[in-house]
Amino acid sequence: MVAREKLNQLKEKFGPAVQRADMPCDERLFVFVEASALKAVCQFLFRDLNARYVIGIGMDDRPFSGQFMVAHDFAFDEDHLLCSVLAHVPADNPQVDSISDVVPAANWAEREIHDLIGIEPVGHRYLKRLVLPDGWPDGAHPLRKDFAWNQVPEGYDDTREFKFDDPPEGCTVVPFGPFHPTLDEPAHFRLYIEGEMVRGCEYRGFMVHRGIEKLAESVLTYNDIPMMAERICGICGCVHNVAYAQAVESAAAIKPPPRAEYIRTIMLEIERLHSHLLWVGLACHIVGFDTLFMQSWRIREPIMWIAEKISGNRKTYALCVIGGVRWDITPEVKNELRKLLDKLEAEWTPVVAAVSKDKNIQKRTHGIGVADRALVKNMGLVGPVARAAGVDIDCRRDHPYAAYDRLDFEVITEGGCDVWSRVLVRAKEVFESIKIIRQCLEKMEDGPLQLTIKDELPVGRLGLSSVEAPRGESHHFVITGENNRPRRWRVRAPTYQNLQGIPAMIKDQQLADMTISLGSIDPCFSCTDRLETIDLKSGATKVWTQDELLKLTRTKKA
Amino acid sequence: MSVLSKLQEAVVCLKAGRVTLPYPVKSQPVPEKFRGRPLFDAAKCTGCGGCANNCPAREILLFDLCQEIRIVQYLGRRCTYCGRCADVCPEKAITMSHEFETGTNAIGDIQQRVELFMSTCQRCGRCFKEPSALEQLKLKGYRVDDVAHERWVFRSKSYLETEPAVDDIKIEMD
Repeated sequence: MVAREKLNQLKEKFGPAVQRADMPCDERLFVFVEASALKAVCQFLFRDLNARYVIGIGMDDRPFSGQFMVAHDFAFDEDHLLCSVLAHVPADNPQVDSISDVVPAANWAEREIHDLIGIEPVGHRYLKRLVLPDGWPDGAHPLRKDFAWNQVPEGYDDTREFKFDDPPEGCTVVPFGPFHPTLDEPAHFRLYIEGEMVRGCEYRGFMVHRGIEKLAESVLTYNDIPMMAERICGICGCVHNVAYAQAVESAAAIKPPPRAEYIRTIMLEIERLHSHLLWVGLACHIVGFDTLFMQSWRIREPIMWIAEKISGNRKTYALCVIGGVRWDITPEVKNELRKLLDKLEAEWTPVVAAVSKDKNIQKRTHGIGVADRALVKNMGLVGPVARAAGVDIDCRRDHPYAAYDRLDFEVITEGGCDVWSRVLVRAKEVFESIKIIRQCLEKMEDGPLQLTIKDELPVGRLGLSSVEAPRGESHHFVITGENNRPRRWRVRAPTYQNLQGIPAMIKDQQLADMTISLGSIDPCFSCTDRLETIDLKSGATKVWTQDELLKLTRTKKA
Repeated sequence: MSVLSKLQEAVVCLKAGRVTLPYPVKSQPVPEKFRGRPLFDAAKCTGCGGCANNCPAREILLFDLCQEIRIVQYLGRRCTYCGRCADVCPEKAITMSHEFETGTNAIGDIQQRVELFMSTCQRCGRCFKEPSALEQLKLKGYRVDDVAHERWVFRSKSYLETEPAVDDIKIEMD
């Protein structure tokens, strides 16, 4: 009854400003509030009730309710509750109070809403263009329903320059990216350097947009989207695939068969295994420790092969459809997987034992890229970054999905807040994943893989789903719609929040530590950049400028 | 302590030995379920359009040249090999092959085009492909891969013959 309890608290505090609420189950709460009370409600949830900020979503709801909509999603991790606060915004005056000065983590989300839907967050301190490319004309908002998916806006200007902030006095600008040997994907950091020390930076990303959300609500259909969602990310594709399917299932009140849930769990854990091994290798590669890079990738390779055997592809598993999965795990594969896990465990144990005492790698990662608890809270950092700061959150346990509620595992935390702690968290999580897959193989029951869905999915229902990706929580928000496709689908990849913590993490450290700090959040720019645009250049956040940095990220405690 | 861990790491490396595969000189066999380039079987395809409707990448197009000729075209450019087409095909006319080395400079190497002769139902006027091989045999003279020779193209009539249906097909020969 946590959902009802929270709702009562809100009602008590805000009275008639709370218009209505949906509680489809005990783990989800949708509260519709008056737009004027949105900021106060968010502040109350974030500061007084200590909820974790997940994401802000803008919607063009004009064809249905005649108004725009803004939603802010929060997670109560200890209470196993995902909560969405929604407010209608008038169509003729799309303005809503900015919450980013009380919830700093909402910074990017609000700028994105401003760019794509055209709802102005009033009072936002740094409303610079984030998602749209430089040449995009002002006033064209691609995620509005009257903007066609293949439309090129009038007045697109190739030559329009993006205006960067001036560096603080005494600092030199060092451009890092969009193409750089240690960046796997394009993103641009303008670093402000004083001597050897990084004093701040400005970030321009969103260069690899593919407009997936727009396509989903205008071209694709429910069962097409999982295959496309998977292409959001090359490393944790299955996560998006499952998260989307679950969000739609939660909106339409569909429960996939138990066997399908176990298979989803197994594939997600296989993905985590490969991703963690890949990342540990990459992190070592960045600091020049290529031995471990080679070895962890060698150990990883058989995982790719078994995934290929189960699903038909090394990485893009194309696993889910709404109401089930497409691939079965045969007894033969089961045996092979068991053997593989034994071998993996036997090989990974000595590597972890050796590396955890290795002074060289410790010297390069201790005290580097520090993200402490306050930063985690304020910027909404997730995954290994949060767990390495001692923040005990893990969606698998906190918001159980698939078969995780029937499994027994530990959430690994460390207290160092630095890159070294993240290495340890990830290295140890490998063993937990092995444990989880073993339990799944043990407990998996026979039964159908897919549910036969005879009726059309209900229209206008809300669905939330959080899935613990290897790099953190991946959150999907869905409103079901007409024509066999969702009305709105919002993906928040873990990097979206984690990147916002980067400026604070790299501040006042040496330039040489920049890459590993960035690498330590395992940035996935294409995950972050999943929206509607062609290329280029986000603006900077206020955080980047030198003195504002702490003010916005650390001292804002309530 | 660090020396010890260096030794341990050396042992890990030595134990592993050489693991690099000789690809591309020799490629590994792929597993049975591997989803490679989809292959379309013109003999089995009935032109129902299920694949075109369900392709997430919209890479399968369906268009009708005339009442009787239906083209199923696989463009192969941004196909993600998800295998949904093979899943939904009621005739199992699409198989996910084991081909994965599909890099090419000529997109035609990957594209496939299935040209289907669709008979017209004498009652409702809709097109269909004869379900059985026997019925297809009645279409003597028509060659699936030969749309260019238009003289082979069968023209249906909009009325029913008074004669029994067995002998109702006349091929236009020049």
